[in-house]
Amino acid sequence: MRRYNLGLDGREFVIDVQELTADSFEVFVGDERYEVTLSGDEDLPEATITPGYQPGVDPTRPSTTSPRPARGPAAPKRRAVDAPPASAGGATLSAPMPGVILEIFVKAGDVVERGQRIAVLDAMKMHNLIRAPRAATIREVCVEPGQAVGHGDALVRYQEA
Amino acid sequence: MISPDTLGLLLQGLSHVTVASAVMIGLALVLLYLGIEKGYEPLLLLPIGAGCLLANLPLSPLIAEDGMLRVLYDMGIQNELFPLLIFIGIGALTDFGPLLENPRLVLLGAAGQFGIFLTLIAALLLGFTRPEAASIGIIGAIDGPTSIYVSGLLAPHLLGPITVAAYSYMSLVPIILPPIMRLLTTKEERLVRMPYSQRTLSRRTRILFPILVTLVVGTLVPFATPLIGMLMLGNLMKESGAVERLTKASAQEIANTVTLFLGLAIGSTMVGAEFLKPRTLAILVLGIVAFAVDAMAGVLFAKLLNKLSGGKVNPLIGAAGISAFPMAARVVQRVAQEDDFENFLLMHAMGANAAGQIASVVAGGVLLALMGAGAL
Repeated sequence: MRRYNLGLDGREFVIDVQELTADSFEVFVGDERYEVTLSGDEDLPEATITPGYQPGVDPTRPSTTSPRPARGPAAPKRRAVDAPPASAGGATLSAPMPGVILEIFVKAGDVVERGQRIAVLDAMKMHNLIRAPRAATIREVCVEPGQAVGHGDALVRYQEA
Repeated sequence: MISPDTLGLLLQGLSHVTVASAVMIGLALVLLYLGIEKGYEPLLLLPIGAGCLLANLPLSPLIAEDGMLRVLYDMGIQNELFPLLIFIGIGALTDFGPLLENPRLVLLGAAGQFGIFLTLIAALLLGFTRPEAASIGIIGAIDGPTSIYVSGLLAPHLLGPITVAAYSYMSLVPIILPPIMRLLTTKEERLVRMPYSQRTLSRRTRILFPILVTLVVGTLVPFATPLIGMLMLGNLMKESGAVERLTKASAQEIANTVTLFLGLAIGSTMVGAEFLKPRTLAILVLGIVAFAVDAMAGVLFAKLLNKLSGGKVNPLIGAAGISAFPMAARVVQRVAQEDDFENFLLMHAMGANAAGQIASVVAGGVLLALMGAGAL
């Protein structure tokens, strides 16, 4: 469960988000309960996520990351590297399923074609090749070999070409 | 002077070479070649090939009374000890998490056993007896230990060909499955993406699962109790985390040792006169039919689920409803990625595959019950 306190046009809302599965959430806005399913989740290029609002006191945990609570020992290093992007804009390639990163083929600044190899993710003892979904420039690599990742964790951030 | 008798005694090995035993040694060499050079299930084909070779040498003391291979056979095949020990190791290696996260997948595991019963009927029509036909059908589960367990009880004289068929086809999963999957699905269906949906599983759920499955399956299908009991014992040890040393020993040391014994003992049953019969060929052919029909039933059932769910199920995962854990699930993932590299079906396929593992054990128990194995 994660609580967001936010002001919208001057009205204050208390929103509690409970993750049921990776793509379904139970959301409480005040006393109202909603069932929310997430069908897509990506940062739009050039979208500005205003850094002016930082809930809580921990500056390394901005609310712009997914509303999922830390998952315990499975993804211990996640929060440390999941820092906000250096500048606004760009999109994120995230882990399609939980596993361990074995190899990374790109570094920040690389220009990749659609389909180019980005990383190898070991899930259920199978080596899965993660490829670039579109032609792009890699801006940031968020994981390192040997790191455990959960579903939806950012692997690389990129700027569409 | 050496008398002819002495000469005869010294050369009795040579004089006992028969055509059948020579052919079987040739077959043993083929098995060794497939295991070593081709990498087809080397952990089993190498010991089986070696056992076959050793058993077919003239007058082989290894299969005489108190010979080592005979002792191994009596110790663990005849009374089903070895396949059951292997099952503890499989349980300790199997992650039922993806199935628990998506329990609907259990239907695919059930559908993936259809070929077993169809092949049983085909074998009956070809003139095999009922216990023999049941043992041949179980090859379709593509689950070595279950095949050994069922045929060991119902038709021990067919153990050699059935085991070789089961393990050979297991190694051929990556070759046989993809064409079947492509044949039965349209490109559009193969492109269906299934988002990974994770439920956070509590430790209690993971621990209760093997216990409940044992209670339910054991009560409904008593003949499946040994197999499901050992499978779930291994899984309980793994998920509880309480006995890491035992889990590790079951999954590694014990499983490795038993695999060697099992392979040698199975190989030693493949002796010339008994093995070189047309029926061995029939078993190999029926086995692959059982396998193919199982896979087809799984895919077709997944297509039905696809229709019912309004296009949310990728029919490819049905192919993982056969057993052969976790190979079948990996093949599904690979085939899906050929059409769309951004499609990750692995976790769904693993769930269907784990369901197939349980379902094939249950199918084995049902077969034993149908054949009235209790009377044996």
